[in-house]
Amino acid sequence: MNTHLHKLENESIYIFRQAYRSIKNIGMLWSLGKDSNVMVWIAFKAFLGKIPFPLVHVDTGKKFKEMYDFRDKYEKKWNIKLIKGNCPPVEEIDPSLPPAARSAARKTEGLKKILKKYEFKGIIAGIRRDEQGTRAKERVFSPRDESGKWDVKNQPPEFWDQSNFNYPDKVHVRIHPLLGWTEIDIWQYIKDQKIPIVDLYYSKNGKRYRSLGDKDITSPVSSKAKNLDEIISELKITKVSERSGRTMDHEQEDVFEKLRSKGYM
Amino acid sequence: MSFLENVEIPKVVIVGHVDHGKSSLIGRLMYDLDEVPSGKYEELKLVSEKRGMEFEYAFLLDALQAERDQGITIDTTQIFFKTKKKKYVFIDAPGHKEFIRNMITGASSADIAVLIIDAHEGLKEQTKKHAYLLKLLGLDDVICLFNKMDKINYDEKKFLKVEKELLQFANNIGVNVTATVPVSAKCGDNILKISKNLSWYNGKPFCEILDTYNIKKSTEDLPLRLPIQDIYKFGDKRVIVGRVETGEIKLNDELFFLPSNETVKLKSFEAWPKAKKKYIAGDNVGLTIENQIFIDKGNLISHVKSCPKLMNTFEANLFWLSEKKLKIDKQYFMKINTGEYSIIISKVSKVIDTDNLSSKTLGLSPEKNDVCEVIIHSSQLIPMDDFKDNQKTGRFCILDEEKIIAGGIINLQNFPDQKDVIQTKNIKPISFSVTEIDRALRFNHRSAIIWMTGLSGSGKSTIAKEIEKKLFLKNYNVFVLDGDNLRMGINRGLGFSTEDRTENIRRAAEVAKLLTQAGFIVIVSLISPYISERKKARDIRPEIFKEIFIKASIDECKKRDVKGLYSKAIKGEIENFTGISSPYEDPKSPDLILNTENESIAESVKKLENFIIKEFGVIKNS
Repeated sequence: MNTHLHKLENESIYIFRQAYRSIKNIGMLWSLGKDSNVMVWIAFKAFLGKIPFPLVHVDTGKKFKEMYDFRDKYEKKWNIKLIKGNCPPVEEIDPSLPPAARSAARKTEGLKKILKKYEFKGIIAGIRRDEQGTRAKERVFSPRDESGKWDVKNQPPEFWDQSNFNYPDKVHVRIHPLLGWTEIDIWQYIKDQKIPIVDLYYSKNGKRYRSLGDKDITSPVSSKAKNLDEIISELKITKVSERSGRTMDHEQEDVFEKLRSKGYM
Repeated sequence: MSFLENVEIPKVVIVGHVDHGKSSLIGRLMYDLDEVPSGKYEELKLVSEKRGMEFEYAFLLDALQAERDQGITIDTTQIFFKTKKKKYVFIDAPGHKEFIRNMITGASSADIAVLIIDAHEGLKEQTKKHAYLLKLLGLDDVICLFNKMDKINYDEKKFLKVEKELLQFANNIGVNVTATVPVSAKCGDNILKISKNLSWYNGKPFCEILDTYNIKKSTEDLPLRLPIQDIYKFGDKRVIVGRVETGEIKLNDELFFLPSNETVKLKSFEAWPKAKKKYIAGDNVGLTIENQIFIDKGNLISHVKSCPKLMNTFEANLFWLSEKKLKIDKQYFMKINTGEYSIIISKVSKVIDTDNLSSKTLGLSPEKNDVCEVIIHSSQLIPMDDFKDNQKTGRFCILDEEKIIAGGIINLQNFPDQKDVIQTKNIKPISFSVTEIDRALRFNHRSAIIWMTGLSGSGKSTIAKEIEKKLFLKNYNVFVLDGDNLRMGINRGLGFSTEDRTENIRRAAEVAKLLTQAGFIVIVSLISPYISERKKARDIRPEIFKEIFIKASIDECKKRDVKGLYSKAIKGEIENFTGISSPYEDPKSPDLILNTENESIAESVKKLENFIIKEFGVIKNS
């Protein structure tokens, strides 16, 4: 493994162990995407082969069939404890949001239900700083108030690997072990560690998915990359952003900030 | 592109006063390096137009609505990009004084620091504050950019004037300026390439300086420091996990644990899917040891030959981030690496005004965003290093109400290593049966019997209560055995005859002994009138017994008569009353005399406190 990946892996392991040690009841989001799988892999490393907390799949019911197949296969193969949660229908979501964002916000509500049911005090999520401008401003340990809100203007200090862990009862902490990774790091790590992924990421008929979301609001990008090496080479020269296939990101200037401040990942 | 592989990616933080162009610089650099994702430029052009502005490079980083609307950076951002030679993570830090905590959050993880100064405005409040904070964060080397040269018509003289001012300030605070570059982020001068507008400038453009920057990295060469992060149990196996902060660890190493002072051999490394034979700085490890000893989260593993120091009093430089002012002697929590300790700040020696570098030394109560020098005490022994020797184990943060409110770096020059103090006192390491020495190690003081003798009304109980409070606040384990209280329980039924008085004292002494075995400093407050009986009490634990004579004449005590006992005794209503109808034998050579007739209670208490700390505190100070 190259020096840079090794350093990133080390940082992530440290965050995992810090979270497990410091926060009582935690769960880890498993969206079935590439980042999520890298996260599961590193969790195995952090906890020496057995993940001591459940994984959570917040199911919108609108994922690709390949993703559900992948989930069922690796739930068994990896012997993980998996919580499957569903999401409320779109009619129950804030109608002021643009259509795709409104659809994506179902996931926020689904997550809130799970948080309540399992009384999680910490949720591990695989977001990265390079994905989106507001995610670039995230903390590794990021508190969310009772309603799941992110108070972006008033984030706690975090330095020298020291963070705030203890918050009032109804506040939960989002834990972001992959915050410092970039898209290309993820792919190089997947290649190096031979981590399984859904094959929707590979090019078929000149198109591939760079980021996986709901079927109806995610579209593939033009690409000839049919294997990991080709994906990595492609990413080295592309200027197309990773989330360009996510309709929700492009509906309004501040739509992602709106979603996130309401509790989206 | 193989030159981009297999190297660490440096993190570069840009700091400086608000509106001096930090975000703009990064935005400009990304634009010039063609690192802006397609569509983003057009998107931000619209965003800028919507706000009636020229194209704003800063919007590449200032993603929040509030940031764009107010035109300032609120929170720190990290952004990834590459030059032709290297990959970087750029950290944008807010320059507004309201957001110092965010600046620190950003800058604390940086490898390279860039200070940006508006050449037109010159050095401002946050320019200086940031430079000072960089130093506290361990970033001694700084690249200085003088921005907005276009605004001063690329005038060399004006540049030299600001440059001189900056170099002087940097020199005064001990920051090493590695380069000074006149630039204009807005116009792209001297960012990627040397600008014709600045033909008088002989140095390299900013980007080239970065690409050839030599980052000081020495974490692997330093002695081993491995703080225990957690202990995982797999059946009978206990796996210690933690991150090697500095140095290296390999199979067959003898490991030295602090604060327990134990040396144990490393048995195995544990990892998934497979363990290595050696781990270096930055690596997370799992390991087992040959013998089971008492270990806990926060303990520090090193090699015995180059171990950290063990301290309960030390000096530190703090940056204070809380809305609440620093409070002397208030209980705070300190996190250092993976350890958590209860501390008090016993003294603020200095508050530094970073604007003019003057420091106040009187009437100090540091407030939000102040930097100050303090003395910190803990009741526990804390393994640590001087920040100058090891940054990783020489820095800490302070928490109040479970929130981080300050950060600090450690100076160990002026206080002794408690390992040496303990070892010279022949105190043995912790063994499995908990001994009095083990307790002393943990509580930071030896146990003691402070036997206060004196007439009724001489002030024993008052002094006892006060000294108990004082020592307790200093995290001592302290307890008062008072004659009256004992008589209500263990000594119930005993009267005031000579025999009963003797038995009363014997029991008090035995209870005191038990408490000393539990590690307490026991304050015994008993008239105990007979020399012979006090001698018997002393003989139970002579090595830690101190006789304190609370001296006041019988006339004075009669006059005070707090409990109204003297008047009753004089009337004959109480038998065998010491000083009236029963003798009191003054101590021949007490360990300390407190004359309550000549000195105030506060003076007596202070004397006694100094005496106890000197005799029984592990560290000798007042």
